[in-house]
Amino acid sequence: MGHANGIKTQKISRGKKKKPSPSSRPRKKASLSYLQSVIDNLPVALFAKDVTDDFRFILWNKKQESITTLPREKALGKRDHEIFSAESADYFREVDEAVVKRGKIAEIPEEIIDTEEGGEVYLRTVKVPIQDSETGHSLLIGISEDITDRVKAREQLERLNQNLSEKNRELESTQLQLIQAEKLESIGRLAAGVAHEVKNPLALLLMGVEYISSGIDPDDPNLEVILSEMNEAIERADQIVRGLVDFSSDRQLTREETDLQPLIEHVLLMTRHELTRGSVKVSAKFQKDLPKPLLDSRKFEQVLINLILNAIHAMAESDNASELSIKVTSKTLDKVELNEGARTARRFRKGDTVIYIDVKDTGTGISKKNLEKIFDPFFTTKATGHGTGLGLSVVRKIVELHDGEISIRNRLITEGAHARITLVAPRRDG
Amino acid sequence: MFDNVLTYQRYSENTIQMATKVLAIDDESGFTRLLKLNLEKNGEYEVRVENDSSLAQTAAREFKPDVILLDLVMPGLDGGDVSALFQGDPLLKDIPIIMLTALVSQGETSEDAVAIAGGRPVLPKPVKMETLTACIHEVLDAAAE
Ligand SMILES: Nc1ncnc2c1ncn2[C@@H]1O[C@H](COP(=O)(O)OP(=O)(O)O)[C@@H](O)[C@H]1O
Ligand SMILES: [Mg+2]
Repeated sequence: MGHANGIKTQKISRGKKKKPSPSSRPRKKASLSYLQSVIDNLPVALFAKDVTDDFRFILWNKKQESITTLPREKALGKRDHEIFSAESADYFREVDEAVVKRGKIAEIPEEIIDTEEGGEVYLRTVKVPIQDSETGHSLLIGISEDITDRVKAREQLERLNQNLSEKNRELESTQLQLIQAEKLESIGRLAAGVAHEVKNPLALLLMGVEYISSGIDPDDPNLEVILSEMNEAIERADQIVRGLVDFSSDRQLTREETDLQPLIEHVLLMTRHELTRGSVKVSAKFQKDLPKPLLDSRKFEQVLINLILNAIHAMAESDNASELSIKVTSKTLDKVELNEGARTARRFRKGDTVIYIDVKDTGTGISKKNLEKIFDPFFTTKATGHGTGLGLSVVRKIVELHDGEISIRNRLITEGAHARITLVAPRRDG
Repeated sequence: MFDNVLTYQRYSENTIQMATKVLAIDDESGFTRLLKLNLEKNGEYEVRVENDSSLAQTAAREFKPDVILLDLVMPGLDGGDVSALFQGDPLLKDIPIIMLTALVSQGETSEDAVAIAGGRPVLPKPVKMETLTACIHEVLDAAAE
């Protein structure tokens, strides 16, 4: 038949170039059936079309049969349009003509054919245009590899990947919820202090009101002092209450360029009561012309509040005079520094301007054994009701959401802990 | 009300030595400033303010107050420490102390019944002048007995 013919002509044309021997005839026959079995046992699909005869199939091996679920008898002598859907056939014809025109071997990395049984098979096909020197016909050989499994695996992988990133998003939102829950917890801890801080200005206001309501003498020189004190008190109460309301509001992470000094001053105001109660001497130093990092200021306040509360607790446990020092500095990295304390991959590049927020206390410090665990969720050395063990894990999460790093170590010379947050200033292009 | 003011003014003119000496120990300087103005308005009281609790003992020895108003939450020595310190000072131990604090709220101490902690009356902040002066009178009466 046609296909045997194709093979035969090719074989013959090659054989012809060598010297034919008289014994070549029986050997040729044996050779042909041998070749036929090789072709049928190939792990790839093999077909050939006679270009000159309107691209009719002249070769169709076993693997091609199994891939297309179309037996050889139904394919040979037919054109694509008679055995495939019009859409596929149009496509094959287009490719075939292009390959023939170019006269070069072509690879189609992925194509789909519909099987007789209504399925789809993905193929990687190589098409080779050849010339049958004997008949003068131009032929097109196709070699197809069934890559359906590979494509299916890839699609599954993509689906898994998508699933994974969905899970990741879910995890992220859970983490944000955790951050929010931990925040509510720290608000609970701050609430008594905040009430105290609000009642003090209220006490002053009441004093002022009573002074005024017992009769005003317009010439009273105290009046001015009283009114300005009252104004200040209102502002102070307002700031504290507003701070707490802002702080407790749940939002997604929204970062904007933020001036660290007012942020830290605000945090010190919110923790003022705890600091006063613990007789903590506070110093806050800011380098001049600090760059403004991109911060979600409410979330970042949570970081500092947690660090400060931890410091206050540690200092209450120690006999040392309680001193909290906060220092903010900045520098441009001329090399990438290695920080043995940090577990995360380096986030900072040479040429980056980084901002360091150092929070040091004079508390008990942290034992070597505990130092490894302090960032673990629920790790606490505090009695039930005094610590959740979530503070630092949330601190780290928030710092990471800001592309920053945090390390906590013991101070070298004096007793106490030293927390350092490293942030990167927004990169200015150009 | 107006009558009262006149009465007190006359009273203060005549008995200027008799003004009740109040020492207010509280780190809230704005509050103590207005407290002083209010208490001294009618001349019935002479107020000295000490915003630094570590100087409270010296101030008390110097000023020899009739009554001490003592804030509870202060940096350094808190109200409890100061109270203990005075208790151990023979020159100061008999001076009545009224504790002031923003820690308790109105609900915890009713307006007329004053809370007592460690034998000392505790007034919540914010406090009305009327409550405060009533409390001062009461502790002075009790001390006089
Ligand atoms: N500044 C510090 N000084 C000493 N120990 C600290 C300090 N900060 C944290 N720790 C230790 O790390 C533990 C975990 O802290 P954290 O995650 O904030 O949880 P919590 O404060 O609820 O215990 C604390 O229980 C404490 O033992
Ligand atoms: Mg904590």
